[in-house]
Amino acid sequence: MSFEIPIGPQHPALKEPISLRMTVDGEVITGVDIRLGYNHRGVEKVAEEKNWTQNIYLAERICGICSHSHATCYVQGVEKLMELAPPKRGLYIRYLVSELERVHSHLLWLGVAGHEAGFDSFFMYTWRDREIVMDLLEMISGNRVHYAINAIGGVRRDIDEGQKAKILEGVATLRKRSAYYFHIGASEPSFVARIAGVGMLSKEQAVSLCAVGPVARASGVARDVRKEDPYAVYDELDFELCTADTCDVLGRVVVRVKELLESYKMIEQMLKNLPAGDIACKAPRKAKPGEVVSRYEAPRGENIHYIKANGSDKPERLKVRAPTLGNYPATVEMLRKGFIADIPLIFAAIDPCICCAERTVTLVGARNGEERIVTLGDLRRLAIDRHQSAPPKRNAVWPF
Amino acid sequence: MSDIAIVESLKRDLGDKALELANPDRRRIFVKVAPADLVPAVTLLRDAYDCAYLATISGLDKGETFEFLYHFASPVVNINVRTEIPRTDLRLASICAVIPGAVLYERELQEMFGIVVEGIPDPRRLNLPDDWPEGQYPLRKDWKHVRPQEVIPGGKS
Repeated sequence: MSFEIPIGPQHPALKEPISLRMTVDGEVITGVDIRLGYNHRGVEKVAEEKNWTQNIYLAERICGICSHSHATCYVQGVEKLMELAPPKRGLYIRYLVSELERVHSHLLWLGVAGHEAGFDSFFMYTWRDREIVMDLLEMISGNRVHYAINAIGGVRRDIDEGQKAKILEGVATLRKRSAYYFHIGASEPSFVARIAGVGMLSKEQAVSLCAVGPVARASGVARDVRKEDPYAVYDELDFELCTADTCDVLGRVVVRVKELLESYKMIEQMLKNLPAGDIACKAPRKAKPGEVVSRYEAPRGENIHYIKANGSDKPERLKVRAPTLGNYPATVEMLRKGFIADIPLIFAAIDPCICCAERTVTLVGARNGEERIVTLGDLRRLAIDRHQSAPPKRNAVWPF
Repeated sequence: MSDIAIVESLKRDLGDKALELANPDRRRIFVKVAPADLVPAVTLLRDAYDCAYLATISGLDKGETFEFLYHFASPVVNINVRTEIPRTDLRLASICAVIPGAVLYERELQEMFGIVVEGIPDPRRLNLPDDWPEGQYPLRKDWKHVRPQEVIPGGKS
């Protein structure tokens, strides 16, 4: 006999709202259904009513953790549409922030993976170190989360020699500690025993289900936009594409720690070769009619924006595909044949960013009962009815 | 393989099926096919051009027609397959048999533009709530959101 277990939309194991419905046979998951839509904000529709500059701020707010990814992906597309060539220094600073953001996102994920595997000291160590990079980002941009460093045609803030020295110092500390985490992640026996062989996704499945980012790379698919389609400064940097072939959560840990080490390398190269000059050029208010496909490797995988201009100061269409959405079909396969206890671990291993993946439209909140659907209004009415028809409460009487 | 070589080879392989073929930027190729040729074209890209990875499908309401853009990527190039269907006949073939990862994007197209993707393995809504009214397709250009009047229960309205 099989049961269906609903996990979410609100659940202690998930940090954001999503509904996973597991069909289980005993302890083993036999079927998975993912239901989305609990975090929809209508971003694509709103973008058609805002001008090019306003949309930077909108794109930045698609996600909290990879905020810079969406803003950069949008901005580099708009710069192509406007035929702008941002100054080299501006580009270096922009992608320096990109790599710092990747460091903070991967450290955050490592902590979550440690936490879900029951290894909380790992979580505390990585999150302590994440503060170093968060402070660096605050120093560069003035903000810890929404850096808002991008402007059309360059960046908003310059960095000076003192800041450069501080970044290098922070990166040196992080490199030493990440090397230690790599050692732990790949060799600490109890941690490895918990994550090895969990959430298998074969290379063939990863290819056919269009998995992206570290999930695909941990299954041996060497797919990274920074290598395949080197945008802006990435063809001037020397770095390696990190893959693993274990196809499980262990592989995803290894890929992410290796990427951390590559990011430190890139940050140092960018700071060493930081060109002199302006940080931004002036952008026109309108863009000529045209279309552009902008690709960007976010910490979670490929981020793609399709932007179409109609000659006015507003886009005709802005289509956003966040990496987490691309990884959902693969997640269903990873969960199948797994155990109930592995659900948080496997689901966390794709580094889900639910608010990224859901950005289209939600206007009416809805709640699903098991057999019927109740709108928020109906629910309110039911609550009021119930309240009014309830027997009058007597005041509590003190028993003595 | 360089962009020019890929464009030439696409011209040869697709023949008359390629209604338009453009290479506006480095590593970006746009090819337009008729809706009937979509599945064969996608199969060809997957088998001969290493484009098994579909990034997403963008839809666009152009008034008289709807345009759909399938963004594929191989390790060397990004190929975008464009197809257009008239507003009077909103049917599109599903490519899930060729690219199983396309199902979420096709579900999104169905609910956002009100088209019918024929042969989709899972026709449910993706993002919109279950009680979303029928016939409301938010990403059509003529759809405008009207915010419902907020009523505070038991209080001032």
